[in-house]
Amino acid sequence: MVMVALPFVPLLLWAFSDRWFFPALAPQSWGLRAWIYLFRTAPDQILVVTLQSLWVAAATACIAVAVGLPAGRALGIYVFKGKDLLSIVLMLPVVVPSLCVAMGLHLWFIRLGLAESFLGVVLIHLTFCVPYSVFVMWGVFSNYNVEFEDQARSLGATGVQTVVRVMIPMTLPGIVVAGLFSFLLSWTQYLTTLIIGGGKIITLPILLFALMASGDRPVAAAVSLLFVLPAFFTLFFSARYLGRKGLVGVW
Amino acid sequence: MGELILDRLILRFGRRTVVEDFSLKVADGELVSILGPSGVGKTSILKAVAGLLQPAGGKILLDGRPLIGTAPEKRPAVMVFQKPLLFPFLNVEQNIAFGLRMRRLADSKIRRDIASIMELTRLTGLGRRRIHELSGGQQQRVSLARALVVKPAVLLLDEPLSNLDADLRQQMRDLIHKIQARTRITTLFVTHDQAEALAISHRVALLLEGRLRQVGSPRELFHRPADPEVARFFGGTNFLEGRFEKGALHTQVGVFPLPGFNGNGHRLTATIRPEDIVIRERGPYDLEGRVVRTRFEGMATRVWVQSGNTLLVVLTPDSRLTPGQRVRMHLPPEKIHVFPPPPDERRA
Ligand SMILES: Nc1ncnc2c1ncn2[C@@H]1O[C@H](COP(=O)(O)OP(=O)(O)OP(=O)(O)O)[C@@H](O)[C@H]1O
Ligand SMILES: [Mg+2]
Repeated sequence: MVMVALPFVPLLLWAFSDRWFFPALAPQSWGLRAWIYLFRTAPDQILVVTLQSLWVAAATACIAVAVGLPAGRALGIYVFKGKDLLSIVLMLPVVVPSLCVAMGLHLWFIRLGLAESFLGVVLIHLTFCVPYSVFVMWGVFSNYNVEFEDQARSLGATGVQTVVRVMIPMTLPGIVVAGLFSFLLSWTQYLTTLIIGGGKIITLPILLFALMASGDRPVAAAVSLLFVLPAFFTLFFSARYLGRKGLVGVW
Repeated sequence: MGELILDRLILRFGRRTVVEDFSLKVADGELVSILGPSGVGKTSILKAVAGLLQPAGGKILLDGRPLIGTAPEKRPAVMVFQKPLLFPFLNVEQNIAFGLRMRRLADSKIRRDIASIMELTRLTGLGRRRIHELSGGQQQRVSLARALVVKPAVLLLDEPLSNLDADLRQQMRDLIHKIQARTRITTLFVTHDQAEALAISHRVALLLEGRLRQVGSPRELFHRPADPEVARFFGGTNFLEGRFEKGALHTQVGVFPLPGFNGNGHRLTATIRPEDIVIRERGPYDLEGRVVRTRFEGMATRVWVQSGNTLLVVLTPDSRLTPGQRVRMHLPPEKIHVFPPPPDERRA
């Protein structure tokens, strides 16, 4: 925990400082100026941007899981032709930098009217979140015994009941991992959001860069802290909930 | 009620036929074992009845009503798998309640049904346990309770004892026997263990190479096998071939009187079980031979005896016999079973 917290020390120092000039090791004067700015001077902007980021990441995570679950199930359980090819295709977005994908798709998105739109940003995030989610769920379903579903059917569960009451609970740790990590991938995107969002869709990382460029370090540090909150939450959650259950084949 | 009829069932995986023309009638309240070696399609037959496998042909009738085409959850037949398959995210009680919850029954009824089934399967007090806190035998009982609690017309048990060690196996077998006798639930019991099938069933159906070879009471299959392969499956190894003349079977090793049998001139194959051959020092005997090999098996000793060009296996309580020793054997005529001759080889 100490190891994880270490990089955040300077961030905390910055966020609670009023003045801190080179070459001092600690701020010359402490204060809440950054936080007052955040919550008093510009709360609307911060709130709007945070919500925007949340919506983008949440929508991306939900769609990534919704696609990853059936696709991972098919890949993990059934044998079919072209499975190897499919796995290479899925690898592509992981190998090819997302910047290139975004640049490549930008023109198409403009033609389709997706550029500078919420949907466009979500779609570009999905290009790498979906493969990630599919890979996670593929691993989960490789160690999954379909006979549980047969047993459920025989005991009187309908097809829908079997999915909701058996398949999802059985694969829940994997679903949570796929969802949380897709959320984080989307939450931390800068370049792809910037290219497709074109400055219309402003998320936290974009705001953060703007603040850094403006040179107001304490405010940028405060926003950064807000920004790493979900990551901390995810880390904490995976350690507490998933770590114990031993997620074989997911990591 | 629960009279189950399987009529000329055909089961295929892709182009490979696993079960061919399987017909079996299970009366209401009867426990019938499907016995056969690994891979003959026993599990597949149960899955077909449960609705989890689509047959390529044939009919499945329950009380005269066709089942094929009915969804598995609508069939009054519940399958218990070889592995307990308990849902790890539910505790014991919730696992047993699963089928009742799917049927959206009232909580009070569910509680009552669970309590009585847990008593029947000796699980009282374990309701709140997590699945990984149970022993193998307890898990198997939960799995059985979970199926019984929905009161199916037909219970399909797929080798429910095969994951247990010898001691537990015996206990669980007795428990299933007792529960079946009390509830009179029509049961198809799959096993590859002949002793298990003989001990628990009203009738046994022997499946070899995807085909039904013989159906009958445990005694019938054991003492009056339909053909040499059935005999072999039940541990029969002694086969005598010869011609029947003047009330006796004439073989290369000797002449054996067969009272009550007629049909002069027939070429016949007969068998006698290893434990039915008597090794004696005094008195009349039918065969003489030399001990080739012995194997001490606890309650008895298995002795291989060479007599002429025939090797006989004898199971005897006498554990002092040694290889090389000469012995005299008596084959009681009433213990010699003659196979019905195949129709095309009646007269040689
Ligand atoms: N899903 C499947 N796809 C293809 N072949 C299968 C499938 N399930 C079973 N088989 C084949 O069908 C045959 C019968 O299988 P089944 O499981 O019914 O045998 P079994 O008698 O229950 O064997 P065991 O005693 O080992 O459980 C086997 O040869 C098996 O390889
Ligand atoms: Mg089987």
